[in-house]
Amino acid sequence: MTAVELDSVSRWYGNVVAVNDVTLTVNPGLTGLLGPNGAGKTTVLHLMAGLLAPSQGTVTVGGEAAWRNPDMYKQLGLVTERESVPGFLTAREFVLASAKLHKLPDPRAATRAALGIVEMESAQDREISTYSKGMRQRTRVAAALVHDPTVLLLDEPFNGMDPRQRMHMMELLHRMADEGRTILFSSHILEEVEQLSGTVQVIVSGRLAASGDYRHIRRLMTNRPHVFTISSSDDRRLATVLIGQESVSGVSMADGALQVHASDYGTFTRALAKLAKKSGIRLTSVLPADESLEKVFSYLVAA
Amino acid sequence: MVLIETDSLEKRYDDKVTALADLSVAIEPGIVGLVGVNGAGKSTLIKLALGLLAPTGGSIRVLGHDPIADGEAVRARVGYMPEHDCLPPDVIAAEFVTHMARVSGLPAATARERASETLRHVGLYEERYRRIGGYSTGMKQRVKLAQALVHDPELLLLDEPTNGLDPEGRRAMLDLVHRIGSEFGISVVVCSHLLGEIERICTSLVAIDAGRLLRSATLSSMTQHSDLLMVEIDEDPADLAEFLGRHGLEVRKDKRSLMVRIGGEPDETYDLIRDAVAELDLSLHRLEQHRHQVADLFRDLPTAEATHA
Repeated sequence: MTAVELDSVSRWYGNVVAVNDVTLTVNPGLTGLLGPNGAGKTTVLHLMAGLLAPSQGTVTVGGEAAWRNPDMYKQLGLVTERESVPGFLTAREFVLASAKLHKLPDPRAATRAALGIVEMESAQDREISTYSKGMRQRTRVAAALVHDPTVLLLDEPFNGMDPRQRMHMMELLHRMADEGRTILFSSHILEEVEQLSGTVQVIVSGRLAASGDYRHIRRLMTNRPHVFTISSSDDRRLATVLIGQESVSGVSMADGALQVHASDYGTFTRALAKLAKKSGIRLTSVLPADESLEKVFSYLVAA
Repeated sequence: MVLIETDSLEKRYDDKVTALADLSVAIEPGIVGLVGVNGAGKSTLIKLALGLLAPTGGSIRVLGHDPIADGEAVRARVGYMPEHDCLPPDVIAAEFVTHMARVSGLPAATARERASETLRHVGLYEERYRRIGGYSTGMKQRVKLAQALVHDPELLLLDEPTNGLDPEGRRAMLDLVHRIGSEFGISVVVCSHLLGEIERICTSLVAIDAGRLLRSATLSSMTQHSDLLMVEIDEDPADLAEFLGRHGLEVRKDKRSLMVRIGGEPDETYDLIRDAVAELDLSLHRLEQHRHQVADLFRDLPTAEATHA
C-alpha cells in the first residue's frame, strides 16, 4: 500500500505561486485531481513524480522523498499530458526501452505483461505513428506501467479519446485500482470523474479547496440547503406536509415537480419516506438536484 | 427544410481508404449531435458538407444546395467552427472576425458592426482588441465560434467546441451553443466525443460507425426510461435489498445503489420501496426511474480497433 503525501508544499516560479501550501494524501484506489485551468494540477503531478522540487514543504511517495531520489521511480509511473512518443518505434520497442531504463531483470517479459494489461498485443509490432489517439495513450500507459509501479499518475488521460476508447480506459483504471494501486488522474470532464471515482482532490488557484468523496464534501457544506426534486402522487399535499418540518427551509412547485430545500440533510432524508407513508402519498421520484460532482465543483470554485 | 441530406454517400481516399460507405441520412433542424468513434467518418462528412471535398459516390445536399456545384450558396448559409487551433496569433480578434465577415460577403461597415456584436454575444468584450496569441483556450474557442456566427448562418457546424476547456469554460460554451440553437433559431450540428454533453444540449443525434449510419434518432427516444428503479440510501443497502427481495421484488445491487425492477404493478412497487425505507428507518437519498444512456450505443459495439488496423 503506497500513499503519496504532500506536506505544506508550495511551489513558485519567480513571483508566480503555482501551488500554495498544499497538504494532501492520495491513498490506494482511484482519485480524481480537479481544478480550473491554471489551478496547479500539472504542477502537483510533477511534484509527486519528482520532476519539480517543492519550493517549500515535502513530497513523499510511500514515505520516501520524491525529489532527488531515483529509487522512488521503482514504485511510480507518470503519464504526461503532452504526447511525445516517437512515431518510428513500435509499441513493443517503446515499452521495452522503458523496461530497460528501469533495469528490469527480464525486460522482455515485463514488456509483454504491460502490453497485455493495456490490451495492445495485437498491434504491438506496428509503428506508433499508425496508431489512433487511444492506442497511443494506452501505449504510454504501458510504458509507465512496465516496472509494475504501485503509484500511477495520469495527466488528462482521456483527452482526445472517443467514447469507446474512454470506456476502455476507464475499465483499465478500475482494474488497476482494484489491484490495490494508487492512481491519481486529472480531468476536466466531471461526469467521467463521477463515474470513475467519488474521491477527488480539488485545487483552486494553487490551494487545496477540498479533498475526499464529493458526496461527503457536499454534506459538509451545511450553509447551503440541499435541493431535492420530488414527484409524488399528490405534490401539493406533500408540499404542505414537508413545509411543516423543521428540516425543510423551503418548498416550491416548478415543472410539475416539487423543489424542496432541506436545511438538515440527515433529518430530512430519514423523515421523507415516513411522512409520505403516513399521509398515504406515493413517491415516484426523489432526486438530489445539487449533489452532482459538477455542482459541488462549482460551489468550491465560486467559494 | 432538411439541414443535411445524404443519399448513399461514399468517400474513398486514393481508392484505398473508405471513409464513408453508403451513408444515407437526413439531418433535421434542431441541435444535432454527431457522434462516432475516431475514424468513423465524422470529419469527412463535415468536409463534404462544406464542399471542401467531392464525394466519390452518392450525393449530399446542404440546406437544399449541392456544396460542390453551388458552393457559394452553401458557404453563405453555413458557419463552421473547426476543432484544431487555427487562429492567427498576431491578429486582433475584432479584426479577424471582421475579415471573416467580409470573406462571407458582408460590406465593410456591416462586417465591422456584426463582428463586434457577435464577439459580444460569445462573451468577449474589451478583450476583443487584443491579439489572439495572448488568449486563453476558452477565449480562442469563443473567437472560433464568433467567426462561424458572424454572417448570421442558418446552420452551424461545430467540431468539438469544448476541447481543452475547464469545467467552467465547458459549461459556458454549452450554454452558449444551447442558446444559439434555441433562442437565435440557428440549427447546430455538434461533433463531440463527450456523450454527456450531447445528452445535455442536443435534441437529436446521428451516430456513424465505420462510414455507415449507426443510428439517427431524437434524444428523448434514446434516453427512454427503462423498467428499473434506482434506489439510493445513505446506509448499507443490504437490509433494504433483503426486505424488498422478501416481498417479491427483483433487486440487484449496482455500486452504491439498488436496481429494482418495476414489474407489472408499478404503484405497489413504489409503495413497497417507500414503506421499506420507512420501516427500516433508512435515509432515502434517491429514487429514480433509470434511463437509457447514449453511451449504451457504444457499449454494445465490438472493439473495432483490431479490425481498423
